[in-house]
Amino acid sequence: MIGAIETPKLSLGTIDLLLRDRDRMLIKIRTGNVTEILRTMTVTIMVAMAIVGAALGSYRGGEQIFYAAIKLPLVLLGTAALSAPALTAIGTALGRRSRLAVDLALVMSALAFGALIVVAFTPLIMLGRTLDASYHEMILGTVAVFAIGGLAALGMIIRAMSIEAGRGWRTAVATMCLVFVMVGGQLSWALRPYLVRPKAQEVVFVREVEGSLFDAVVGAVRSARGIYHRDHAPVPDEVSP
Amino acid sequence: MTVATLPRPLDPTRLALAAAGPIAVGAVLALRAGDVSPLAATPAIVFGIAAATCPALYIAIAATKHGPSLAEVARALAASFGAFGIALAGLVLPALFISVSSTANLTTAVVCSVVLGGAAMIAMVRLATELAPKSFGGVVVCIVWAIATLGIAGRLWLDLAAEVLL
Repeated sequence: MIGAIETPKLSLGTIDLLLRDRDRMLIKIRTGNVTEILRTMTVTIMVAMAIVGAALGSYRGGEQIFYAAIKLPLVLLGTAALSAPALTAIGTALGRRSRLAVDLALVMSALAFGALIVVAFTPLIMLGRTLDASYHEMILGTVAVFAIGGLAALGMIIRAMSIEAGRGWRTAVATMCLVFVMVGGQLSWALRPYLVRPKAQEVVFVREVEGSLFDAVVGAVRSARGIYHRDHAPVPDEVSP
Repeated sequence: MTVATLPRPLDPTRLALAAAGPIAVGAVLALRAGDVSPLAATPAIVFGIAAATCPALYIAIAATKHGPSLAEVARALAASFGAFGIALAGLVLPALFISVSSTANLTTAVVCSVVLGGAAMIAMVRLATELAPKSFGGVVVCIVWAIATLGIAGRLWLDLAAEVLL
């Protein structure tokens, strides 16, 4: 029975292992079939994030449901593609054996775990829509849900690195967290919007390239300090959808 | 020296990455600035500062109690350079993505600085691990040398980034 759990033949078994026993999942990543894990996690992320995206898009309705359902999986898969090589490079630089496939499987599994956590909150997103929660309440709720999912994913990566306890693993984890946050934040920023006001006349797949998430945070801090770069606040005609 | 304590052979791939990494970061900066000077200036800063300060590290650490030999210091510096190159190889792609997906020059400057600084910190950690100073004096030498080297290189880099971007 234990053997059956350790070497699941079906993809659903791997997802079940990921949810129930992440320490054994980490052992499976190091010793198991990496290709099967990668395939399973890719499908998990795509399906879970498509569901969450559709739920967020339903706040506006129409084509935004499809737009958000397409974009959210791309955010997580793109983050994995850009972050996993960094994890491998940092680990190798600190003296660990180079192993891109295992690191990619670890990052994908962690993101899949985060995606599953987020998708578990989908009923609450739908509840907010049903109760006609305001746009800003929905935004705050969505940020909270994704923060929980993101922390869960980071926690799994930190756990994996701490179990391995290779040379300089704390430095590797700190750098990885920085890359994860910067890449994931910028990619989600570049592909926004996901949640659109119900009264918005038009929706766009992605907004035009503009200042980064970093610039937005800097701008928000400046605004909070009363430093503005415009003469007046935007009037309704100037507000973008 | 027994076979077990012989230093590991140098990896040419890592050293090649160490040579190419600063050029790649300079290319990200040059792409944003529309100015090719960072392509040459970035590796010049990295290797120039390293060439200027590495002899000082050997002299100072050799003068401490249980100081490592010249060969051990050279191997440690080579391993550190290799770590710098590998780290840059992994971080350049995220930096390029963040830079091209933003319209602000400040973002590129900050991201390139973080990438170079992060890789340099990893290289310093690797250097400390390889040297493994056995005396308090050796630890102090390593820390002071790291602060001086990173400080000089950081100042020159920030001047370059400000000149071409800001």
